[in-house]
Amino acid sequence: MRTILTLLVIVTASVSPWGVTADEAPISGTVKADDTMANTLTLQTTAKGKTRDVTIVLKPESKIVKFARPTEPGKTGFVEQALVLGDLKPGWVVSVTAKHEGGNEVAETVKVVLEK
Amino acid sequence: MRIRSWSLTVVAMAALVIGLWGSNPAPTRANGEKDDEKGGHAHVPAPLEYADVHAPLSVWTDATMIARGKEIYTTRCAVCHGDQGDGKGPAGLALPLKPSDFRDKDGVAEMRDNYWFWRVSEGGQVEPFKGKGSAMPPWKGQLSVEERWAVMAYQHTFSGHQGPHVPWEHREMITVGRDIYVMACVPCHGVAGKGDGSVGPTLAPRRAPQPRDFTSGEFKFRSTPSGQLPTTADLLRTVTEGVRSAGGPMTIGLRGHRIMPGFRHMPLGQRLEVIEYVKSLNRRFWDRQEIKTVAVPAPPAMTPERLARGKQLYADAECLACHGGRGRGDGLSAPTLKDNRDLPIAATDLARPERFKNGARPEDIYRTLMTGLAGTPMPSYADSLEPDHAWDLAFYVLSLSRDRRRTAEAGAR
Repeated sequence: MRTILTLLVIVTASVSPWGVTADEAPISGTVKADDTMANTLTLQTTAKGKTRDVTIVLKPESKIVKFARPTEPGKTGFVEQALVLGDLKPGWVVSVTAKHEGGNEVAETVKVVLEK
Repeated sequence: MRIRSWSLTVVAMAALVIGLWGSNPAPTRANGEKDDEKGGHAHVPAPLEYADVHAPLSVWTDATMIARGKEIYTTRCAVCHGDQGDGKGPAGLALPLKPSDFRDKDGVAEMRDNYWFWRVSEGGQVEPFKGKGSAMPPWKGQLSVEERWAVMAYQHTFSGHQGPHVPWEHREMITVGRDIYVMACVPCHGVAGKGDGSVGPTLAPRRAPQPRDFTSGEFKFRSTPSGQLPTTADLLRTVTEGVRSAGGPMTIGLRGHRIMPGFRHMPLGQRLEVIEYVKSLNRRFWDRQEIKTVAVPAPPAMTPERLARGKQLYADAECLACHGGRGRGDGLSAPTLKDNRDLPIAATDLARPERFKNGARPEDIYRTLMTGLAGTPMPSYADSLEPDHAWDLAFYVLSLSRDRRRTAEAGAR
């Protein structure tokens, strides 16, 4: 009995992920502002009929990309172009894959969906 | 020993609860629900301002239009929807609401053209898509109507379907409406919508009005000029309000002596679905390009002078030939009146506005005067009455009411 209970404690504790949350869903929205000093990006997003602002923290390893057609003749598809936070303009539509870290949304990749 | 076991049990349960809580934190996300990652596209009825926008049939197979659509799609849509139309463009992969997969034959078959046009025009800025975090931009400000049709025509090619994208090619578009129609409308309007349901003839035996034949293209209650099909809003008004009548033995139980019951209790989405089904019974809804409606200006103040002018117009326009001098529907021609099915039809008793089939508000009477009632002897006066004179006549018609409050209400507006 004691062995079973001890195992239960160990297994339960091991599946509890403190700090970083897995199974994240993406966020999409319109760029409202970016702060290159604080490395944050504010998005206006809507869910369940409610619009709200979400602040995304960018770390050095966070990627910001947009997609363009290749310029080389004969090549098809899209190529990734790296951007920096300051390139993002208010009104642009982006999607962000992010993780919860210490109560913040930390960006892994910011993809530009539409430039306006 | 027993106490230690209990202690361990309590600790284990606490650890389990904390662990589960930690692995499933309270949602703080603005959008991006897991369900929406699987699609979440709801093919809801297009709102009224888009419901009458049907793509011309030639659009879907016109090589020039498709080529034009491809050019636009490649530069504006493919980044999310993918070059192959599979919804897997590089910018679309991480969106909370996945871009539509146009290769999904079943999904495309369910999309009505007016829904498709609405989505391209408004993007994700409207509900229910906005609430699901759709990132689809609205294109109405950047693409003309023809360009949006061209994009749709090109997107349609991904589905593999070769013909026009219309309900008689894809019955899936109207399945919901058909089911509602079968339950609510077949008894009067018949299985094929020809107005030949089994109950219909008993409502007004061997005389008009009879249930509408939706395939004929003749609709009484319209805001469109004489001879034209109604708008979706017109059909919605009739479905919602029902149709009043002098009533026969079978209509006494219907509230307000309606020969057709009102379906106000039915959710708006279902009413619009059944209307889409009704429209599918007549291909002319897809043939018309521009829809003109009769504008109903704001009613002016009713004055004794207007009533006097209206009385004169009532005589001049020969209203009294059918409706009679006192408006009781007993004019000299009344006994000989027939509808387009050659069935005897009664001239409306204008003293009983509560039974006016097209509504009894001053603006309803104005609209009836200007559009006429198709399939009945009631003509359109759009070519012979100036708007101001039509108001004079509308007010005079209301003044014939037995219920003087109606005239007073109209004058107070």
